[in-house]
Amino acid sequence: MALLEVNHIYKSFGGVKAIQDFSIQANAGEIHGIIGPNGAGKTTIFNVISGVYPADQGTVVLDGKDITKMEQYKITRLGLGRTFQNIRLFKGLTVEENVMCAFDPQSKYTVLGGLLPTPKRFAEEKRGRELCRKYLQVVGMQDYLNERPENLSYGMQRRIEIARALMCEPKVLLLDEPAAGLNPTEVGELTELIRRISKEIGFAILLIEHRLELVMSISHIIHVQNFGKTIAVGTPAEVQHNPEVIEAYLGKEE
Amino acid sequence: MALLTNVLTQVFITLISVAGVYVLTGLTGMFSLGQAAFMAIGSYASGIFVVKLGMPLVPAIILAVLLAVVVGYLIGYPVVRLRRDYISLVTLGFGEAIAALLTRMTSLTGGASGFTGIPRRTTLAIAAVSAILAVALVAFFKSSKYGRQCIALRGDELAAKAMGINVIRVKMTAFLLSVALTAYSGCLYAFYMTYVDPNGFDWKKSADWVIMVFFGGVNSLTGSTLGAFILSALPQVLRGLQNYRYVIYAVLVLLIINFKPSGLLGEWELTPRNIKRTWNGLRAKLSGKAGKKEGH
Repeated sequence: MALLEVNHIYKSFGGVKAIQDFSIQANAGEIHGIIGPNGAGKTTIFNVISGVYPADQGTVVLDGKDITKMEQYKITRLGLGRTFQNIRLFKGLTVEENVMCAFDPQSKYTVLGGLLPTPKRFAEEKRGRELCRKYLQVVGMQDYLNERPENLSYGMQRRIEIARALMCEPKVLLLDEPAAGLNPTEVGELTELIRRISKEIGFAILLIEHRLELVMSISHIIHVQNFGKTIAVGTPAEVQHNPEVIEAYLGKEE
Repeated sequence: MALLTNVLTQVFITLISVAGVYVLTGLTGMFSLGQAAFMAIGSYASGIFVVKLGMPLVPAIILAVLLAVVVGYLIGYPVVRLRRDYISLVTLGFGEAIAALLTRMTSLTGGASGFTGIPRRTTLAIAAVSAILAVALVAFFKSSKYGRQCIALRGDELAAKAMGINVIRVKMTAFLLSVALTAYSGCLYAFYMTYVDPNGFDWKKSADWVIMVFFGGVNSLTGSTLGAFILSALPQVLRGLQNYRYVIYAVLVLLIINFKPSGLLGEWELTPRNIKRTWNGLRAKLSGKAGKKEGH
């Protein structure tokens, strides 16, 4: 059984059919690219998988557990990490605190430890900080622990967001347009980073991306969406020569 | 001297409530306009337990705080599930209902004329130590996983959920902590004033506390405490201007909003590292200026 199984999900908003019959099977170590023009329903797919809103039909199974109707935070705790299209780091917290937030729900001390400096609190906070350093190191942001993310560059904020998602210890990682707003050098670095964490940590990655050079170079399988429907699935080479895909991207030749 | 003791005791009592409001409004971003009702519950309950049931002081206070927390849980159940703007409305209604209830239950509470005959047990020392402990508890809370999660969900609830944060649970924890602190401050208040009446616990009092938090800095516990200190001492010191209290408040708030929207201290907290940094910054500025002068 695949790590993440999305079976025939549908989602409409009023009359807008945002997703129609989308399925995906993702295994550990795989990178799946999801591409398509604006409004193709890509982010909606992520929102349905991660539980922001439930699917109208179909099921989502994460590592053998049905998460279709589960609450968002519970899905995360079962092993789903994500980043957002428009970076959503927490304001008012430092880089370290931002990343720690993803550890805090698993941190095992009680309200008593929240009010008093108990030994358990020290131990758990220490464990959290060590994990936090580890993941910030993975993304190369370990020297910015006490900075405020809003004072850092866009590319750095992306990396912090990825570190925060890694902190959830995900089995499946959803990256929503990680290269948006990055300059070419940063895109190159990001591509390397995604490839590296995919190899080192070995989870399944779903990647929404407009930068075709990024998505084509690192994805094993590509799903092409248009107006809520999947119009092609296959390896990057297969998809690139699919006439329907070319039509969706470039328009029909008259 | 007696005046000073009086002023300080009341300021410290207010400080405890404001520490609670800081947890709610500062950390979690929820506005409660019924917070004073929990102070009312604390003061009436502890007063009734001691005067009418003859309980010793400490168990009476503990019971009163627990009672307020139970009521807080009931009112908190819908509150933490609501959108932020409705929270103020629900808590406002709740607060006014409690005030009305206290006025109506004449046989138990003395009604509108107030509940009298409470022994004076709160001293300046007790109030001061309590206030310091309350602020310390909140400081520990802020730097714990709970404080971080509160700040996270204040900024972005969706992202907080996506990081596995149980938003409803964390909000409830913050709400109940603030209720407990406010109720405790109510207990001290009752045993200091020796009488309580329902008028002192309406939404204006809750709004006062929120103003104090914003005045000092909604993102800083140090700032909120300072704000509470200044704004609650001010009307006591300027007794003659009692009637103009809200005028003075309004002017101060307008000044703050215009010149320092994040409050007196912004996000600055009183920690050893920050003190050192600020001190170094000041020194660098001073020596920089001195250096320039020499250069000229």
